[in-house]
Amino acid sequence: MKLTDREENGVIILEPTGKIMGGPDASLLHDKLYEFIEQDKKKFVVDLSAVDWMNSTGLGILISGYTTLRNNNGQLKLANVTEKIKTLLVITKLDPVFESFDTIADAIQ
Amino acid sequence: MNYELILSILYFLAGGFLIFLAITIARDNINNRLNRTFGATLFFAGFGPLFMALGLIIDTSTLSVTNFDESVLYNLHYIWEFFFPLLLLFSWIFPEDRLRKFKYSRIRYLIFIPQLMHLVILIFAADFIDFLNSMQIGNNFEGFSSLILKPFSVLINLNSLFISFILTYHTIIFGMFNIFFAVATIYFLESGKKLITNPRILTQTKVINWAARISLGSYISAILGAALFPEIINDTLSSLMILVAIFSGTALLIYATLKYQFLDVRLAFRQSFVYSITSALFVGLYVVLVLQSKEFLVPIFGEQANIINYVIIGLLLLMFQPINNWIDEFTRSFFMHTQTDHRNVIERFSRQVISLFDPLKLRQIIEETLKTTLLVEHIYFVLFDDSLNEYVLYLDRDNSQKIALARDDILLRGINQLDTPTFFQSLGDYLKNSELATELESRDIKIILPMKDSEHLLGFLALTSKAAGYNYSAEDMNLLGVLSNQMVSALTNARLYVDSLERIRLQEEVSMAREIQLNLLPSSPPTHPCMEISAHSTPSRTIGGDFYDFVYKDKKKLGICIADASGKGMPAALMIAQTQAILKSEVNNGTPIDMMLKNMNKQLVESSSSEKYVTLFYGELDTENGYFHYSNAGHNYPLLVKANGDIELLKTGGPIIGALPDMSYQSETVRLQKDDTLFFFTDGLSEAMNEKEEEYTEERIHDFVIKHKLKEPSELINSILKDVRLHDTTYPPRDDTTIVSLKIRNGF
Repeated sequence: MKLTDREENGVIILEPTGKIMGGPDASLLHDKLYEFIEQDKKKFVVDLSAVDWMNSTGLGILISGYTTLRNNNGQLKLANVTEKIKTLLVITKLDPVFESFDTIADAIQ
Repeated sequence: MNYELILSILYFLAGGFLIFLAITIARDNINNRLNRTFGATLFFAGFGPLFMALGLIIDTSTLSVTNFDESVLYNLHYIWEFFFPLLLLFSWIFPEDRLRKFKYSRIRYLIFIPQLMHLVILIFAADFIDFLNSMQIGNNFEGFSSLILKPFSVLINLNSLFISFILTYHTIIFGMFNIFFAVATIYFLESGKKLITNPRILTQTKVINWAARISLGSYISAILGAALFPEIINDTLSSLMILVAIFSGTALLIYATLKYQFLDVRLAFRQSFVYSITSALFVGLYVVLVLQSKEFLVPIFGEQANIINYVIIGLLLLMFQPINNWIDEFTRSFFMHTQTDHRNVIERFSRQVISLFDPLKLRQIIEETLKTTLLVEHIYFVLFDDSLNEYVLYLDRDNSQKIALARDDILLRGINQLDTPTFFQSLGDYLKNSELATELESRDIKIILPMKDSEHLLGFLALTSKAAGYNYSAEDMNLLGVLSNQMVSALTNARLYVDSLERIRLQEEVSMAREIQLNLLPSSPPTHPCMEISAHSTPSRTIGGDFYDFVYKDKKKLGICIADASGKGMPAALMIAQTQAILKSEVNNGTPIDMMLKNMNKQLVESSSSEKYVTLFYGELDTENGYFHYSNAGHNYPLLVKANGDIELLKTGGPIIGALPDMSYQSETVRLQKDDTLFFFTDGLSEAMNEKEEEYTEERIHDFVIKHKLKEPSELINSILKDVRLHDTTYPPRDDTTIVSLKIRNGF
């Protein structure tokens, strides 16, 4: 997994590429997310367009980020969720929890 | 040969040994005050027997006109008495200089005054008395002159008397001084012994103290005995006791030096010392044999004696080389097994550490070896501590006192570049601005011994000076270098061993956890006339994060649960154990299914981080009417395959459990009929991947179950597992894989 990040209108946009599985890959996303949270960033969009697959650990990281931000009046939204990950969100019934948008611009809005 | 000749030869040999030993000890390390003082002590001690030998020879010689004890040479022999103050001086500075802190420590040299006086009086007194006598003008003084001269005359007379008295009793008077010095020496040697911590210095000191006790003791008895009980201790007995004093002292000194490396004399020196002495004795014996042989041969062989003598001399010469070689061999073997031969030290050290895996014990052995062989006073270890990820300076043996060192300490960086043992002070610039250097300086460190494997500095040893003020020799530095290599491999071994022990311990713990986990799973699926149930679970590691369970809520309602914790291994297993416990208590409480999942979620949210969660499906089958009431908390949809081939996915429920607070769950009821199949699984099955990274997929599971819907549950599970293995050959599976299958046998 690779990870790029940028900021747009005060919103942190994280763009992971590849698979979000356990191990060092997952901790990269986790560490980055929490690095920004510690910098008091409140708004995040995770762009999942380039994510092929995400396992339970990867999903755990998104949930954890989501919970932490929500407890601090922040937000974590998803953009460009692929079909596969959408299925995962549906099965785990997290689709009503995570707000997901078709484009990053929509998510920022 | 007569008694006097043998005695004089023995005296000569003893004196010679002492002087030879004195010179070599002083020369071995002339910079060390201990060596100089002790050398001087032995040098003067050697004069005693030498003069005695000389006296015997002169007295027995027919050529000598005067008696030896009247000659100037005889009076000079008292020079040997300087032995006593020198030995006293030595007892003050060994094992450490105890007068150093005393402000006027130079006052110690006043102890030489009695012996100096003795010598001066003996050499000049006779002349001085003659001079005084010549001043006597006569006894008949008259008038005024008598008034002035008489007191002078009395004074001169008194002086003359006093000196004559001293001359008559000088042996006893100055003998008393010597005895006093000897007693003081024994006292100081004994009290000095208490200051010794090093075991080898202690052994050396014990031998030296015995030498002092025996030789000084017999000397004192000889002098005092002769003075107090002249009838019992006659001249012969007295000189015999002095003989014992000289020889026992000399022998024990040589023993301490050769065997226990007294004064840290080098091995090479000790070997050559023994070799010189044995060769000298051997050659001396040869000379005597050659010179005297004719005398023995003449009475036996008469005229033939000359020829026989030549033959014997020839034989002796032929034998010379082999015997000399044998002496050489013997000399070497004498040192072969001593602790001070460095080859032995290395051999013994490597034998000790090769099978030693306890780092603490290893350090003790290193410490003992350096203390006994090199006489190092203190050793401090700096080792890399894996748990602290830092170099640590250990201040004592049991690790209770230690200091973590800054990684960027300049001295540490300097030591990292060393390959061989190095004098601390020669590290120059590295010692400035270094906390480590300040720490080591305060502990009087002399040598840094780095321990380096091919790339890393494992640590280093900091050695203080050697005990009793001995110095580090080039020989010592070589030994340290070799020992450090041995220590590196021993430390590496010990570390690997500890690692492997830790791994074994973890493995044992994991298999114990596996045992517990297996016991938590139902030993066999429940049996009931209306249905057939089968279950299977394979963890991807020793322990897994999946579980299934069957719980009777009451006599007719059977609870069925399948769950999958996020992640793998131990954390997932712990999560599962907790989930299972909560589930059982909720079922026992008779909580409705939707509330049950809500409660479980609440409890797990409180007890775990939101990254950890469980997907869980729970349903209750009413065995009387076939109603199956369920709720699905984010788990892969179980499949209901109807007898006619229709399928239904059991989706109703709510989100995964343990991730988000305040979640609510719905429940749903389906009715099961004869030959319906319920198929539950975890994502390990649906996500099994082939080499092209294609998943087995839920659709394929659906198709497979539909196709094999007539099979008994156990058969169905086995065949789908086989099919999945064809798709994904990895075993154990990449993810925990669990399947539960249920088939309704009778209609309701």
